[in-house]
Amino acid sequence: MTTATNAPAWTTAVDDAPIAVAAAADLVAIAGAGGTAWILEAATGTPVGTVTLPGGLLAAAFSPDAAHLALSGPVGHALWRRADGRVLAEQTGAWSSAVRWAAPDRLAVASGRRALVLDTDGAQQWATDPAPSTVTDVAWLREGRRLASSAYGGVRCHERHTDKPVAEYKYLGSHLAIALNPNGRWICTGNQDSSIHIWRTRDGDDLTMQGYPEKIARLAFDDTGRWLASDGAPDITVWEFSGKGPAGTSPRSLRAHETITALAWRPGSSAVLASAGAEGTVAFWRADSGRPGTRVKPTWMRELPEPVTAMAWADPHTLVIADYEGRIEAWPLPDSLAR
Amino acid sequence: MTNPATTIEETTDQVDTRVPVTVLTGFLGSGKTTLLNRILTEQHGLRIAVIENEFGEVGVDDALVLDAEEEIFEMNNGCICCTVRGDLIRILGALMRRRDTFDRIIIETTGLADPAPVAQTFFMDDEIASQLRLDAIVTLVDAAHILEHLDEVKPEGVENEAVEQVAFADKIVLNKTDLVSEAHLTEVTARIRAINTPVEIIRAQHAKVELDKILDVHAFDLDRVLEGDPAFLTETEHQHDTTVTSVGIDLPGDLDQERLNRWLGQLLRTKGADIFRSKGILAIAGSERQYVFQGVHMLLEGENGRPWRDGEMRRNRLVFIGRNLDREELNEGFADCLAANSLAGGHA
Repeated sequence: MTTATNAPAWTTAVDDAPIAVAAAADLVAIAGAGGTAWILEAATGTPVGTVTLPGGLLAAAFSPDAAHLALSGPVGHALWRRADGRVLAEQTGAWSSAVRWAAPDRLAVASGRRALVLDTDGAQQWATDPAPSTVTDVAWLREGRRLASSAYGGVRCHERHTDKPVAEYKYLGSHLAIALNPNGRWICTGNQDSSIHIWRTRDGDDLTMQGYPEKIARLAFDDTGRWLASDGAPDITVWEFSGKGPAGTSPRSLRAHETITALAWRPGSSAVLASAGAEGTVAFWRADSGRPGTRVKPTWMRELPEPVTAMAWADPHTLVIADYEGRIEAWPLPDSLAR
Repeated sequence: MTNPATTIEETTDQVDTRVPVTVLTGFLGSGKTTLLNRILTEQHGLRIAVIENEFGEVGVDDALVLDAEEEIFEMNNGCICCTVRGDLIRILGALMRRRDTFDRIIIETTGLADPAPVAQTFFMDDEIASQLRLDAIVTLVDAAHILEHLDEVKPEGVENEAVEQVAFADKIVLNKTDLVSEAHLTEVTARIRAINTPVEIIRAQHAKVELDKILDVHAFDLDRVLEGDPAFLTETEHQHDTTVTSVGIDLPGDLDQERLNRWLGQLLRTKGADIFRSKGILAIAGSERQYVFQGVHMLLEGENGRPWRDGEMRRNRLVFIGRNLDREELNEGFADCLAANSLAGGHA
């Protein structure tokens, strides 16, 4: 572990407990649990605007061109337009735990037991039929033409021409989060019963990774699709998806935290992962170091006074972290990790 | 994480700072809404969040009221009767992420809801269990109508929800006592006790209950009734012809931890579907402290309680509430867990 001399590029504060950090192009957004999102310039932290969705927030995502910000929460969803600051807040009364953009002009929002596909004016283009439970997460396949949504009982895929699923990946249990690898080959879910379920997209061939001490609420592939990181505490596990996939292999274990509060892959192919824990630590890892089945040590770690509850990379050289008290810092990539 | 086959182990003492959660249940018309409004409007200085399952008639500015639609999830852990409430997991999870903290959380369920998944959620989800504590299941009962509900004959395989709600309760608020005679109240009390012997019954009119009797009472884990005179535990005079009953055990002596684990594990694995609730205060051989446990169906968790006092008799008091319980088998099985050198002289 190298000593840290990296001073934050900027710091600021918001008046809420952040639950998500979103980033695209030159903007970052800090979503507060209470319902307000603060939009900032990524380079300086200068405020650009705020959006409030009454009832609280659960997720936030910028459109790829950062022209729009989508927010979702316990009682609805909202859209912010950068050009003129227009806010469309839709209080549907439906639990909305996820938003995901397919393209600069189209996004999916979990809304109760359905997923809705909206344009940038908030108009509904199409919607899925109701899932067996509240939809927990959504993700796009096939260049934004096919929508995967997770709920109790598995993952269902929908396309515009029919509200019935065009593909179903079933597995008993409550699926909390989806990760799709970027080439679309694998669909993975994190589960309430402390497992990761993996389907091969093509034929639905599946396997379960069990033995985690806690539920898997966070899991994500890096940009190359080779590495899948997840919580399930206290270790972060990283499975390798090269070749035939992870069946029969062992994961790397990253141990630094007691309970994991945030995971964020650095954009690109560096296999650098940032993570945060409830005890107030933030760690950077080279997930490809070490050997499968072994424990990897953090490359760089720092202890903070408050736990970091959300983080996102503003660019490959800047990680924006948000702590429970609303303190926001933009950290340059530690020198030891720059390639 | 509590697994179906739970073992009893030593735990450290710590002040429990988790937020107490009260589950408030009862049939439509039992006075739940009146009680909730009373809780929310009374000058108690507490910040309360309410998670409602029924059409919201409650609305108070100071309190956070959230709607929930019951979502029952089976768990993929081989435990057949283990279900959790997905709606509560997500709502409580979001609540804990907020900066405004609450002193009390109340979960209101409908009279038709099964209390087991609500309770099991607190066993099965670590995120929730680390910050929230199931304090008590409080069942409101309409003194005038409860007997009809308890007597209602259901088709084969369908639960009588009123019986279940009485069986699961840590506290029963016997409401509308002004509408019935004392003789009727005595009969109702006897019927409730036949199902759930150790439950504390609080009589009320217009749902007027002192809040400190139902909120933050630690009734789920350590019932004060068990702490007091446990003679009633083994009392059988009120036995009615009912399939849901309580079996209380009061046995002096020390328990062999290994044998206890084996017996309890086996019992809950095989009979867990029928055992709604279990709780007890035990004397484990070699331990200076009382061992306190509580369970819902197959899930069980326990921790060390207060030290045994000087001169206090080391004894074991426990109760099972459930369907088709075999009193004799439970008594014998438990007696077999006594340590060989126990003063009470168990089976060697």
